[in-house]
Amino acid sequence: MDAMQELGNIGAAHAATTLSQMLSSPVEMSVPKIKVVDISQLGSHIGDESAALVVFELQGEIAHGGYILFYISRKSAVHLTNSMLGLTDPDRALNEMDESALLEVGNIMASAFLDATAELLGFVMLPSPPSLTIDMAHAAMQSLIAQMQEEIDEVVLFSTELFCEEHKIDSDIIMMPETSMLNTFVERLENLMKAS
Amino acid sequence: MIEPLSQNALPVMIGIGEYHVGSTPMMAIGLGSCIGLTIYDREHHIGAMVHIMLPDSSGRSDRPGKYADTAVPLLLNKLTDMGCNKASLVVKMAGGACMFEYFGNNLNIGERNAEKVRAVFADHRIRIVAEEVGGKIGRTVTFYPNDGGKVTVRSADGAAHEI
Repeated sequence: MDAMQELGNIGAAHAATTLSQMLSSPVEMSVPKIKVVDISQLGSHIGDESAALVVFELQGEIAHGGYILFYISRKSAVHLTNSMLGLTDPDRALNEMDESALLEVGNIMASAFLDATAELLGFVMLPSPPSLTIDMAHAAMQSLIAQMQEEIDEVVLFSTELFCEEHKIDSDIIMMPETSMLNTFVERLENLMKAS
Repeated sequence: MIEPLSQNALPVMIGIGEYHVGSTPMMAIGLGSCIGLTIYDREHHIGAMVHIMLPDSSGRSDRPGKYADTAVPLLLNKLTDMGCNKASLVVKMAGGACMFEYFGNNLNIGERNAEKVRAVFADHRIRIVAEEVGGKIGRTVTFYPNDGGKVTVRSADGAAHEI
């Protein structure tokens, strides 16, 4: 479990660095958490508040490895794109420009996360083209869980909070692997520990 | 108009695959491809709600509320055990959206969920009186068996309406 935590830590730290570069301001991250959540309890972790989610399928050596998502509340999403696009109104509606900006941020962060974890594991994970939804967070997560390859009653979430005080941005990077991917993580990490 | 006092009671939260039978308000939040199904008995003023995730159980029986093919008979049995009459049941459903077009090999689980629910009720010769399914949006559904079986649907933009 400690090694798994480290895996999430390395991924999230790289994602935080790229976010910080894009914003040209410091980004702090929480301690990465690995949550095992029964699907019936998903609502106590992720509510029906409006949020933007940039979602990627994990591809590469395992064709359908699960998902990685950049989750940002609607309010924070406006703060984020405002700072990128040089705008100031915090109460405006999100438009197409914001959507491309969010896709771009998500893309760069997911790539950074996966590059770092792939390097540690010696195992190629690539993000699919992104899909963006701005809607109820629970509804989006639920839809992803329903279409996972292996039917499950529990999901494992590698979740790290990233926040930027200067621009009032609060976001999460979440990896939700399929069982096959999770098993590969365990196997690779065990081998790494044996080798060291 | 004065709201009935009992409406202030906190609704029972119905998570994915869960169900509840009774007269207190019930709620399923953030339905994407999932279905929030409600059955209200006009005669006894009680009801049942379930949060369905997938169309077919393929023989699995540990979480009957999770699948459309097992959830519908489950609720009907619970209600008839309590003395409810098929003829006085009012069935409504919401959800079944497709939020990610590009993932999941075009499985469109939301649509298949809704179709399965319709098919099972058709087998039981029970009509679904209202449904708000499909599209690309998430929905939160609240059911008030204590208020005439009222069902409200809210989307992310905050607008709640009765179906």
